[in-house]
Amino acid sequence: MDNNNIDFKALWKKQTVSQPNIEDLMARLKQFKKAAIRSLWITNVLLLATSAFILFVWYYYQPQFISTKIGIIITILAMVIYLFTYNKLLGKYKNIETTQTNNEYLRNLILIKKKQQFLQTKIMTFYFIALTTGICLYMYEYASRMTLLGVSLTYGLTLLWMMFNWFYIRPKQIKKQQTKINELITKFEDINAQLE
Amino acid sequence: MEFEQVYKTYWDRIFRLCMGFVNDYDIAQDLAQETFIIVWQKLDTFRNESSIGTWIFRIASNNCLRQIEKDKRFPKSDLPIHLSEEKQTSIEPQIQFLYKCIAELPETERIIISLELEDVRQAEIAKIVGLSEANVRVKIHRIKEKLTQKFKENGQQ
Repeated sequence: MDNNNIDFKALWKKQTVSQPNIEDLMARLKQFKKAAIRSLWITNVLLLATSAFILFVWYYYQPQFISTKIGIIITILAMVIYLFTYNKLLGKYKNIETTQTNNEYLRNLILIKKKQQFLQTKIMTFYFIALTTGICLYMYEYASRMTLLGVSLTYGLTLLWMMFNWFYIRPKQIKKQQTKINELITKFEDINAQLE
Repeated sequence: MEFEQVYKTYWDRIFRLCMGFVNDYDIAQDLAQETFIIVWQKLDTFRNESSIGTWIFRIASNNCLRQIEKDKRFPKSDLPIHLSEEKQTSIEPQIQFLYKCIAELPETERIIISLELEDVRQAEIAKIVGLSEANVRVKIHRIKEKLTQKFKENGQQ
């Protein structure tokens, strides 16, 4: 073979290839569909169960104060909105049109990642605030029947837990997500720059 | 177009494209399968605006680009794909070396050279990648030079 003219094409095509049976592919396809449906179910069942539980409390204990009811609604709403936006974003991401050119595809991927980066922080903050407000309102009715010590203990502990979440877990979580997304955005931008 | 026919016609070519991208037999096999899963899902939306080849190669190359994100994802599929057991890798060092060199190129160059070696016309490559034809021609020329250089350095002739 000539030194300056290596036949790359011939070499390339000599790679061993083994085509799986179409049955194997179909089996995998089925599995893939099942997994998608299962994950959808898990999220929704969890959400439904939590909501059902809260509504049961509402029904069973018959709260008198309007604050309790508002609290319950805010809490459920917070969870619904959180899950809804999260799932929607995920869906959008999974469904990026794969039949466009690499250049367009990469640009879309970057765009969605940037949107995700923005939304994640906002939604997470909203979720924490709404949940805290909801729970504090919800507890008010029951706390109003307690002694001063009971009240300070109940609210103290709850707020302590919330503060721990807000000041420790939330920033950590956000930072983790952001680092991951930023790395990806940089990587995709680098690749797209190869096409300039 | 029948899926089965598409699958039979394009599997080898798609597999080699994926193999050039990752240079790992199992991952390439996975990527190729994923590509055909997408093809299967989207086949009804295929309109004859472009050739089916261009269409499939776009899906495959985009899927390769996407896998960068899933780098650590591959828990070996728990499915009994019969192939993984009788592991098949090309024994010929020259072939291995070519695939290794290609997988070390920048991502988009891997795609461009793989398509070129698959005898995809340069006008089609331009449509898959999203570059001008002139640009593709220049790039292919440079990539081939790089590969030749590597082969020479390695004493693979």
